[in-house]
Amino acid sequence: MENDFSDIKQKVHDFLKNTYITEPTRKALEERIEKAKGKNHFFDDYSFKLLSTACSLLMDQEPKDPFVNIAFFIDDRLSKNKCDGWRYSDMPPDGEMYLKGLGGIDETASMMFRKNFTVLEKEEQIKVLKVIQEGIADGDTWKTLSPVRFFEELLAETTEFFFSYPLVQLDFGYAGMADAAGWQKIGLNESEEIEKLVSNHFKNIPG
Amino acid sequence: MRKYLNTEVVDAVVIGTGAGGAPIISRLAKAGLKVVALEAGGQWDPQNDFATDELEQSKIFWNFERLSAGEDPLAFGRNNSGIGVGGTTLAYTAYTPRSRPDDFKIETEFGVGKDWPVNYEDLEPYYDELELFLGVSGPSPYPWGPPRKRGYPLPPNTLNGAAQLMERGCRQLNIKTSPAANAILSAPYFQEFVGWRNACTNRGFCQAGCSTGAKASTDVTFIPLAIHFGAEIRTESFATTIETGENGKITGVVYLKNGVEERQLCKYLFLCAGAIETPRLLLINNLANSSGQVGKNFMANIGVQVWGEFEELVHPYKGIPASLISEDMNRPEDADFAGGYLLQSIGVMPLTYASQLTRATGVWGKELRNKMNAYNHVAGINMHGECLPHENNFLELSDENDQMGLPKPRIHFTLGENEKRIGSHGEKLMKQIWTNAGAKNMFVYYRNAHTIGTCRMGNDADTSVVDAEGRSFDIPNLYICDNSIFPSSLNTNPALTIMALALRTADKFLGKY
Repeated sequence: MENDFSDIKQKVHDFLKNTYITEPTRKALEERIEKAKGKNHFFDDYSFKLLSTACSLLMDQEPKDPFVNIAFFIDDRLSKNKCDGWRYSDMPPDGEMYLKGLGGIDETASMMFRKNFTVLEKEEQIKVLKVIQEGIADGDTWKTLSPVRFFEELLAETTEFFFSYPLVQLDFGYAGMADAAGWQKIGLNESEEIEKLVSNHFKNIPG
Repeated sequence: MRKYLNTEVVDAVVIGTGAGGAPIISRLAKAGLKVVALEAGGQWDPQNDFATDELEQSKIFWNFERLSAGEDPLAFGRNNSGIGVGGTTLAYTAYTPRSRPDDFKIETEFGVGKDWPVNYEDLEPYYDELELFLGVSGPSPYPWGPPRKRGYPLPPNTLNGAAQLMERGCRQLNIKTSPAANAILSAPYFQEFVGWRNACTNRGFCQAGCSTGAKASTDVTFIPLAIHFGAEIRTESFATTIETGENGKITGVVYLKNGVEERQLCKYLFLCAGAIETPRLLLINNLANSSGQVGKNFMANIGVQVWGEFEELVHPYKGIPASLISEDMNRPEDADFAGGYLLQSIGVMPLTYASQLTRATGVWGKELRNKMNAYNHVAGINMHGECLPHENNFLELSDENDQMGLPKPRIHFTLGENEKRIGSHGEKLMKQIWTNAGAKNMFVYYRNAHTIGTCRMGNDADTSVVDAEGRSFDIPNLYICDNSIFPSSLNTNPALTIMALALRTADKFLGKY
């Protein structure tokens, strides 16, 4: 393995137990860490692998060893038919959108590089994602599914799951979950102890 | 809590426990009427249920799927709709400016849009009552609008980093700013039938569920009062069918309680389910629409945001998300549009920021990670402005059903010329303010807030759904009271005005009952 996050993961685990974090918050964050392991239920293994790769690239992670595999969360919510309250009217229902869109990613990859998406080099994979985002991707899929919208939805959902993962939150210096005592120093250039702790010990974890 | 039999013909059923429903439930119950409220969601226990985590808190948003259409399709769910006892007040920012007299007379002033059949003077006593009841914290005297009989009961909340930046940026342009009026306690406050409510702890989670009771959502203000006076709040009760008798009057409401159909008989129905669910229910039941206006005139406040990164540490998740205001742009001198807008400082929770960032700019990969590394230095400013009604903007029933077996609503929304001009004016000004304040790497996020206007009130039965007292022109024992009855969007955040209308509706009703 290139990156060993087990040290950091233990630190995060310990951090979540501190008294600055309320019980409901701790519970939610610990459950989230658990959810990131497990099995795919909605996607078959191949689609899941493709989705995992795409999600990792979107979040600048090494596909072989990300901080966290966001595909688990997307798979989980689709398998439970959960919804965020809306979708674009000109898009198919979420599950259908993902299945079609993932097929489209492979189709575009084949047309551009004559190989499936998951076996391409990283730079090639990024190119595939870019043309889909820009709406100039080749492939029959995109005749009946807006590539621009598909990409926007995939990116938004991946973003939301990624930046709600505890390790990632601490990595970008977010200490907001540690609010059990409330915040007294809320003006410019004012930091409280727990915020300084996060900044010093967690911000910008290498990897 | 008192319970009523389904077979008892109660005086009133109220659908929805948010800003429209809760004041009515409590006013009617206090007057001795038998009231049953139907709430689609559950009763939250904020201290034990609410986490400081946006993803976990998505449970308080209306998550039944809506279809969004038009050229500027709106986001729903987290953007504008709550579920559970408290309705969308569970997720509102608790920004409670009063509307100003000219807000209600857009048509008279500009020849476009629609006037309200009520005036500021009609709502003024209710604004007074609400600010005291809810415990609104704000500056006294308030710098804008007509003089008031009394000041705010509590001093303003402390300004956070974003507010300080907006103050700095506006000062250079001679734009007057002030701490905002928020229905968020700046000090402990005694709430009848609740006890002492805590002062705000600055956790900045107003839009994802207040866990401390400092924010005046209806569940910690009106609802306990209502229960004390004998109202029944029936949770997990999703209204599906409004039943009428031979003379066309409503006889009862059928709802699904934990999946099982039940029926409550009633003399009067108050429909307060919000500007999406209220018209949806009426369209599904084919009721109260001889004007053809149910679902029409959909509006959403233009709410463009400008974000920037600052040298200073901001920690934008702390403090009240919207703590500074300027109402100087209510009627800008150089306006090429009807109406105007408010300016507000904005803090933001990380998930909301990240998601808006990607939707607005399309940034991903290393660039996205770098932008998020700057999160602690980020602050935003937004506008909140007038939206006119348009033919293109409306709600209809789609032919796709949701998990309750009901047709999903499809909402069409396209910015009209007036909205584009207001948006453009505000964007330019906000960029100037933010540049003055020291912002770098600015980006603009076009967004519309709230859901408004789909069962509008008026004096004319041909062009309105309800009259000036919220009563249906078609069905004498049906009242509607929520954001759907607004004939114009107002440029102010709607919650205080919805509650004022609700109290007024209840009083007018009781006067006749």
